[in-house]
Amino acid sequence: MKTAIDDLIIMRNIVKVYPPSVVAVDDVSITFRSGEIHALVGENGAGKTTLMKVLYGLVPKNAGEIVYRGKTVQFRNPGEAIAQGIGMVHQEIVLIPEYTVWQNVILGVEPVSILGHLDKEKARRLVQSKIDEFQFNLNPDAFVGEISVAAKQKVEILKLLYRNVSVLIMDEPTSVLTPQEIPQLFNELRRLRDSGHTIIFISHRLEEVLELSDRITVMRRGKKVDTVEAAATNKEDLARMMVGRNVIFTSQRTKHEPGKVVFRINDLSYIDSEGRQRLKNINLEVRAGEIVGVAGVEGNGQFELVNTIIGLIEPSQGSIKVNEQDITQASILERRKFISYVPQDRGKMGASLNASILENAIMTHHRLNKRFSLLNGLLLNYSQAKTFMNDLEARFSVVMASQFSPFKSLSGGNQQKVILGRELMLPSPFVLLDQPTRGLDVGSIEYVHQLVLKMRSEGRAVLLISAELEELFLIADRIIVLYRGEIVADLPVENTSVEEIGYLMLEGKTWKKNE
Amino acid sequence: MSKKFISGIIGIIIALLIGALVMILQGYNPIETYQALFQVSLFGLSPLATTLKNSVPLVLTGLSASVAFASGVINLGQPGQLVMGALLATLGGLYLHLPSILMVPILILLAIAGGILWASVAAILKHVFNMSEFISTLMLNMIADYFTAWAIAYPFMDHTAFSPMTPQIDKAGWLPDIGGFNLSILITLLAMAFIWIVFNRWTAGYEWRISGQNSLFARLGGCNIEKNFMAVMLVTGALAGLAGGLVVMAGPHRFLKGLGANYAWDGIMIAIVANNGLLGTLLYGIFFSAIQTGALGMELITNVPSEISQVLQAVLVLVIVAGREFLSTVMDRLEARRKVLAARRKPKEREA
Repeated sequence: MKTAIDDLIIMRNIVKVYPPSVVAVDDVSITFRSGEIHALVGENGAGKTTLMKVLYGLVPKNAGEIVYRGKTVQFRNPGEAIAQGIGMVHQEIVLIPEYTVWQNVILGVEPVSILGHLDKEKARRLVQSKIDEFQFNLNPDAFVGEISVAAKQKVEILKLLYRNVSVLIMDEPTSVLTPQEIPQLFNELRRLRDSGHTIIFISHRLEEVLELSDRITVMRRGKKVDTVEAAATNKEDLARMMVGRNVIFTSQRTKHEPGKVVFRINDLSYIDSEGRQRLKNINLEVRAGEIVGVAGVEGNGQFELVNTIIGLIEPSQGSIKVNEQDITQASILERRKFISYVPQDRGKMGASLNASILENAIMTHHRLNKRFSLLNGLLLNYSQAKTFMNDLEARFSVVMASQFSPFKSLSGGNQQKVILGRELMLPSPFVLLDQPTRGLDVGSIEYVHQLVLKMRSEGRAVLLISAELEELFLIADRIIVLYRGEIVADLPVENTSVEEIGYLMLEGKTWKKNE
Repeated sequence: MSKKFISGIIGIIIALLIGALVMILQGYNPIETYQALFQVSLFGLSPLATTLKNSVPLVLTGLSASVAFASGVINLGQPGQLVMGALLATLGGLYLHLPSILMVPILILLAIAGGILWASVAAILKHVFNMSEFISTLMLNMIADYFTAWAIAYPFMDHTAFSPMTPQIDKAGWLPDIGGFNLSILITLLAMAFIWIVFNRWTAGYEWRISGQNSLFARLGGCNIEKNFMAVMLVTGALAGLAGGLVVMAGPHRFLKGLGANYAWDGIMIAIVANNGLLGTLLYGIFFSAIQTGALGMELITNVPSEISQVLQAVLVLVIVAGREFLSTVMDRLEARRKVLAARRKPKEREA
C-alpha cells in the first residue's frame, strides 16, 4: 500500500483549451509517484505534451488543480518550475553550438567570483562533478556543435540536474536518437530513478515504454484512458487503449499477379546545377496492381526521383512513360492526367493551409474533371465542388467542422485523408506516394496503408517512397534501394529481409556477395 | 465575414476616439469637428455623391492592389499604371471626336489599355529576366510619373494655361451626372462586380487565390503559375488604368500636373487595411474618401485644419491593422472560455 507521501504530483481535472476551440486536455486527473518512471503514451495530438507543458508552467491551464509535495501550485513560467525542482527536456534541442558543454550547462546560473566575474574553474568543476555523479560519459570541454544528438540530449538533462531538479519530464527523447543510442539513454534514466529522481517519459513507441517505465498512463484525444502498471500490460493492450480499437500489426496483403507495365523509367539521370550527379541511369518499371517501395537513406536521390517524375525538375537524360506515353517533357498539368501524387510535406506541397478544405479538395480536379467546368472551363462549378467534397468526406471518413473551415483546422490524419482522397478520386493509373505516413499517428498510418492496398487491388501502379522499412515490408510487393542516386537492388519482399535492405541502404551492396 | 465587419467597426470607433483626443489636446471641439466632417461628406445626397465620386480612384486602385496581393503578385505599380491610363484616355479625348455613346466606352478602353501597357512592361521583365515585380513596378512608377509630366508640359500642353496641363478633352468624353451621381461611380461598381466574379467564380480566380496562399501547392496541382502571374499583372494594371481614365473623364476633364498624386498609394493602403478583401476594399475606400472629402468642408465650417484628416487616416490604418489580429485573438479566447465551461460542467453532471 502506497502512502500519500509517495504521491509527489497530483494533477486534478486539468482542462486546457487552445483558442478558439481546440480542447487539448479534457478533464485529466493523474498522479505521479516519487521515484518512478511514469510513461505518458498516446497518439499525436492526444494531449501528452500539452499536459506536461501545463505542469511545467509553459502553458496556462484553464481549469483544474496541481498539488506538488502536498501544496497547491501554479507555475507561471518554467523558471518557477525549475526552482521547485521540476524540469522538462523538449523534443527539439536548444543549446548554443559555439559554447562548450560546461558553458551551456551553467548558462543562466553561473558561479561568480567575489569580483562578479565568471568563475570558470569552479563552473567547470561543478559540471564535471555532476557528469561523474550520474556517469554521463561527456567531455565538459567539447563544443556542443561538434557532439552527437544523443550527447546534446545529455547536456539538456545535465542542465536540469545542475539546477537540482528532482522531477524530469522527457518529451519524446528517443525520436531524435538512433537505435544504438536508445539503450544508453534508458540506462541513464534508470540510474536517475534509482538515485531518487522522478521521471515522466512521453512517447508513442510502445516497446520502449514497456521496457523502461514502472507505470504507464494512456491518453486519447485529450482524455486519460487509464494508468496501468507496466508489468501488468502488453503492447496489444496499450495499442488498443491508444486508438480505441484493435490495430492490425500484420499485413493484410493478398497475393496476386500484377498486370501490364504502367509506369516506366528508362535510363534516367539528373545532374544538378552544381554538377553533382543526383540520379544515375535509373531504370524502373511499375505494373498495374503492384506496389513498388523505394528505400534509401534520405538524400540518396529520392527527392530528385520524385521531382523528375512530377515535373519540378528536368532530367539530364532518359525518359518517363506512363501507359507508353512519354511525359518526360510534359507540363505538370499534362502529367497529372496520369499521376496521382501525395507529397511528403502536407503544409508546403500538398495543401494550402489557409484555404478552405473544399478549395484544397478540388485542386487538379478543377482542371481535369469535366464536371467542375462551366462555360468551357471559364467558370468553376462550385455546386459540383460541394457535392464532390461531400462524397470525399463520406468515402474517406474525414472528420471536419465544415467544408469551408480552413484546411489547417483539421488534424494531421484528417488532412492526409483529404489529400489522399483528392488524389485517389483522380482516375490516374499511376500513384506516386512520397512518405505518405510521415508524422501521422498509429491509427491514421493504418488507414493510409489500407488505402494504398486498395489502390493496388484497383489495379493502379503505386510507387511508394518511405523512410520506414517496416512500412515497405508491410505493403510493398517489391523494394528498390536507392544509394547515391543509383538503384542498387530490386528485390521482391518475400526474398529479402529488413536487415538486408538496411545493409543495402547503408553500404550500397549486398552482404551476401562479400561472404 | 461578420467577425471582420465587427472588428472593422470597432476599429473605426476606436480610431475616431483617438482622433477626438488629438483634437481636444489641440483645443478643438471633437463633436463639432466630426459633425462638420461628416456633414459635408456623408449626410445628404449631394455630399454622398461627392464622396462616392472621390472614392472612385481609391476603390479601383485598392481593388487592383487587393487582387494582386491576394494572388501573390506584388504589383506596387498602381501609381504608374493610373497615370498612364489617364494619359491615354486624355489623348483619346483630345484627338477623337465621336458621339458620346461611342466616345465614353472608347476612352474607358484606352484608359484600361494604358494600365495594361504599363503593367505588361513589368510582366515582360519578369518573364524574360525573372526580375522581381516588386522592384520593377516601383521603378516604373517613376518613369511613368516623369513621362506624363513631360507629355503635359511639352507635346500636349495647353498653351493658354500657366501651369503644365493638357487642354480639355472633347465634351463627348465627359462622364455625366445621373441624378446627381457621376457615372464613374456606376462604372466602378461594375468593375468591382466583374473582378469579384473573376476572383471568386472563375477557374482562373481559384488558381490565383490558391497561388497567392501557396504557390508550390498550386503548381504541383497543375496550375500554370507563370500564365496566372501574367494574367493577374495585366488585370490589376487594367483596374489601375481605369481609375486614371475615370478621374480625367469625371473630374477636371484634362490631365493636370499632379493628377495621380496620392490616389494609388492610398489605394494600396486601403488594400492593406482591408486585408486584401474585395468587399472590404470597397467599403474602406468609400470611408477614406468620406474623410478626405469631409476634411475640406470641415476646414471651411470650423477652424480645424484639414490636415487633421491625415492624422485620422494614419490612426485608422494603425488601429485597424493592429486591431485585426488582436480582436480575433480576443474573440478566440472568448470561444475557448465557453469550451472550458462546457468541459467543466461534464464531470459535475456525471457526479449528479
